[in-house]
Amino acid sequence: MNALIELGLQVPVRLDSTLCSRFRSTKSECAACAAVCPAPGAVRLGDGAGNNGAEINAACVGCGACVSACPNGAIRLLEDDQRVAERIAQKVLAGDVFRFACNRAKGRAEMVLPCLSRLTEALVLEPIRRGAQRVDLCAPDCSGCGLRKTAQQWERTLAFSQALCESAGLGVARISSVRVEVGNAEEIRLPARMPNSRRRLFGAIAERLKSGGDAPPLETEVVEEAEAFREIVQRHSENSKRTDLLGVLDALPGLSVTSKEVSTAGIPLAQLEVDQRCVACNVCETLCPTGALTHREEGGNYALDFDAAQCTGCRVCELACYHQALHLRETVDLSLLFQRSRVTLISAALSTCQGCGERILGTASAFCPACQVSGDRRDSVARRFFSGGN
Amino acid sequence: MSEYSPIVPREAIERSFAKQGPKQYTLWVDIEHCIGCNACTIACKAENNTPVGVDYNRVIEIEEGDFRDASKTPNVGVTFVPMPCMHCGQPACLAACPVGAITKRKEDGIVLINKDKCIGCRYCAWACPYGAPQFNAEAKIMEKCTLCVHRVEKGLQPACVTTCPAKVRFFGELNELTMVMREKRAKGVSISVGGADTKPSVRYTSK
Repeated sequence: MNALIELGLQVPVRLDSTLCSRFRSTKSECAACAAVCPAPGAVRLGDGAGNNGAEINAACVGCGACVSACPNGAIRLLEDDQRVAERIAQKVLAGDVFRFACNRAKGRAEMVLPCLSRLTEALVLEPIRRGAQRVDLCAPDCSGCGLRKTAQQWERTLAFSQALCESAGLGVARISSVRVEVGNAEEIRLPARMPNSRRRLFGAIAERLKSGGDAPPLETEVVEEAEAFREIVQRHSENSKRTDLLGVLDALPGLSVTSKEVSTAGIPLAQLEVDQRCVACNVCETLCPTGALTHREEGGNYALDFDAAQCTGCRVCELACYHQALHLRETVDLSLLFQRSRVTLISAALSTCQGCGERILGTASAFCPACQVSGDRRDSVARRFFSGGN
Repeated sequence: MSEYSPIVPREAIERSFAKQGPKQYTLWVDIEHCIGCNACTIACKAENNTPVGVDYNRVIEIEEGDFRDASKTPNVGVTFVPMPCMHCGQPACLAACPVGAITKRKEDGIVLINKDKCIGCRYCAWACPYGAPQFNAEAKIMEKCTLCVHRVEKGLQPACVTTCPAKVRFFGELNELTMVMREKRAKGVSISVGGADTKPSVRYTSK
């Protein structure tokens, strides 16, 4: 019985803080997860001061809207995208229509989900990759649903998937949404019946209680307090959501990439520009959640490389840059996701500061601007204020 | 502060605190009587074990007077201005930090850099108009005057205050200090800078 209670109390999602924009930089005002979460109080965002990260608690209903909304793939459901993709692959009939439906939709569908907001772009495109002719998202009017706050999310996912489909040269019409009546959706079962998994679950619990006696130990999260924040942000986790999407995009049948410029607003993709104000402080590289920015130092030369396919447009780099050297372009070319080209944003000669020993982008003086200003300021501020009066 | 004037009853002082907002512990430097011995600088270096080039506190010497014009009196003078962190009400460093490593403590208003969080980007040094944050090149992080928070938490005064041989440094809660200094007919000024006002809390008494 304990096992069942534990299952019930488990938060159905896992949040990897190292991928969360808010956790990495207090400048980030990302609220993608909180904006779509239908459960009041399930997502708690930090206050922008010392602790800014997001937190998901047991009020979570497991609809998966935040999984789809988080651009960095920081949130994962216990049934992860990989497993859902496998389930989709099993049910696809080549050349046929694949229907996703929510629980409230009337009719039959290949896959019934608690809420369509669970779908990520990779999952929407998965049936096409497996040979389906069309993908339909069947849902009744969301305004009457308890999870209605998530409607914006699946509509955004649909729009982005359609744009990707168009950029892949497959046409917008391959993915569409279908308004259906309210009812009880029925999932089309596989011809070969799977073993009854529920019976197996209860059987397994009974077996364990009989043999072991003790309930399995509660899965406790490993809290690494010893590791400093500085070391955590130096690490860059893989954005599995983006890896999945890139994998699906690569394998789309009949791929003929055309360039398609779209506005970056509401799209987890961006192109960056760096101007001459850059001082090679590497803050953008350190704080980038997905590791889209990397720097190279070769023979006294500094170069900042940018991988557009990994960029999620979270704007952490732009907001964190004190010198305002880094900017997001207003439009982005969707074909970048297919090309995987690394571009060098800035390349300039480095010199070493005599004061602090830090590497800085070429200056005429032997001291870096930061050393110059902090040394001079103490002196000049006091001098300006107290001299003359006495 | 232990020296209370008998004229202002302690209760009145305490009542005045109650009305005020959050507490702000700070320094008060009487630069009229500062002898420029730099004992505070050395005490600070010893107390905080800072490497060469990292000074939480530095004494600025301002020399005045002009001998070039023979018709005028030279009017020479020298003023010593010790410059610690101003523990501002609205710290520019806090606003600039991209990772939230700098905090202003609610209980005593001390501005601190969290050494675990600091990524050593030096944005605070760029932002601070007083040049207070210092880059520790060995540890690759920023450091600055902590108002000897480790001593204050034990009920002691900062090292620079206890060391000062001329007894021109005072430490305490800002309202309390203002009360005490008012008894001495001393008027405090804070160093203002052009541009954005960061509301520095350190007070100076000049002539």
